[in-house]
Amino acid sequence: MLINRRRGDVASPLIFFIIAATLIPLGVSPDPSVLSMIAPGIIWVMALLATLLSADRLFDADYNDGSLEQLLISSQLLVMPVLGKIAAHWLTTGLPLTLVSPLLGLLFSLPSEGYTAMMAGLAIGTGCLSLLAALGAALTVSLQKGGLLLTLIVMPLYIPVIIFGSATAQYSIDGLAWDVPLAILAAMLTIAIALCPIAIAGILRLTTIN
Amino acid sequence: MIFQFESLNQFVTMDGHGIYVWTAVIVSVLFLAVLVINPLLRQKDVKVEIAKDQLREKQRQVSNREKT
Amino acid sequence: MNWNWFYRMGSPKWFYYTTSRWLPWLGVMTLCLLVTGLVWGLAFAPEDAKQGNSFRIIYLHVPASLLALAGYFLMAAAGAIGLIWRMKLSFMVMKCAAPLGAVLTFLALFTGAIWGKPTWGSYWVWDARVTSMLILLFLYLGVLALQYAFQSQEVGNKASAILALIGTVNIPIIYKSVDWWFTLHQPSTIKFTEAPSMHPDMFQPLLVMILGFYCFYALALFMSVRVEILHRERKTAWVRDLVSQVAEERVGVNS
Repeated sequence: MLINRRRGDVASPLIFFIIAATLIPLGVSPDPSVLSMIAPGIIWVMALLATLLSADRLFDADYNDGSLEQLLISSQLLVMPVLGKIAAHWLTTGLPLTLVSPLLGLLFSLPSEGYTAMMAGLAIGTGCLSLLAALGAALTVSLQKGGLLLTLIVMPLYIPVIIFGSATAQYSIDGLAWDVPLAILAAMLTIAIALCPIAIAGILRLTTIN
Repeated sequence: MIFQFESLNQFVTMDGHGIYVWTAVIVSVLFLAVLVINPLLRQKDVKVEIAKDQLREKQRQVSNREKT
Repeated sequence: MNWNWFYRMGSPKWFYYTTSRWLPWLGVMTLCLLVTGLVWGLAFAPEDAKQGNSFRIIYLHVPASLLALAGYFLMAAAGAIGLIWRMKLSFMVMKCAAPLGAVLTFLALFTGAIWGKPTWGSYWVWDARVTSMLILLFLYLGVLALQYAFQSQEVGNKASAILALIGTVNIPIIYKSVDWWFTLHQPSTIKFTEAPSMHPDMFQPLLVMILGFYCFYALALFMSVRVEILHRERKTAWVRDLVSQVAEERVGVNS
């Protein structure tokens, strides 16, 4: 139901994900050996950009129609609604991206050992990305043009996720134990789930009520 | 402590590394100087602005008194 | 425990007048230390056996990197104090520390790049520390951009303070992961030629430079905080008195 309400929100990150990835072989080289070498990294960078693309609208609608302020005033625990928002964001960006990623793997001639690890990494990693993007979205929600600023704020925070995310896929291709980076990714996700909603609730309180 | 170079010329060229060392020195000194000079200039501007505000206020008070 | 000093420290007026007394001393000290350290390091420190004279860039690179990192923590701490005790002054410190730190980070990157050319053969190497420094620059830029994006000074302060704090939490994680990433991809051609310990003749000027940079940081920070104080407290009685005093002195001199 949530997805039906704004179908464009799901479609546009996905389309961006695929189209932007298509540009890479055109720009770099169509050589399968080159592509398969950079595939994990490219897919991860594209996924990261795709989640950023939709992040600045995370709290926008609620802020504009005043329901965010209602939530803040109602003095209920803000953490649960925030977590719900983030979960919805992940379900509409991270999850579809994960499901579509094998297609991109095919386009980039990703070695067949890499698919499972890449999907597992993406599923966990995009959760982290959604949580961090929500932090940035909360900080910039009261600004008219927060999109670019959000990118600047969130990008540095994404770095550990992209490092361990692409390493998960790379490890499995190289025949190494890919559960190690995956476990670190999962640890980051659990920490982020514990801390981010609390921080976001605080930020929303500080920046939207004057 | 001894001067490490035989001549001033050698001190400038530093066995071919002079260009790197001296660029780094000049750029760093330039930036540090800007960091100090910039607040000095701004301080002057702010003070002048505040003084102007005060002058304007005084004039307004005087003209108000003349009206009444 | 008596907390009076703490609250007094938070008063912009107190800060302004106290630093007026300190500034000349601090300025002289900074200049002496930096000139001594630079001359010592550039002309009198012994040449490095492997890197030759290009190693002399260390006397600028290391202090700048150190202050860039320390400055970030100072900025975040100032932001936290501002959020917790609602202290105006510490928000001003935070606001002024951001551009200062960004410039120092840039300097560290710049001198590092120049140092890299004769040492590694290229201006840029994706080495763990270089990459971390670049990320630090991005963190600074984020805080700066957020600070100036808000119409309301107060909201901008709070938002950027929170961002600085989030950054502090993340810095160890980012550094660790960049480190890990580097060991994963480390190309065999690049090896660090850094000796485990420096010779005292090389180290002493570096120490002087580091001290000089700390003094410089304090000097530059105090000076820009003072401007910020004047600007924000322009409606208060003490600033008006101060300015009219100065104006009268000027007029007296001119006439």
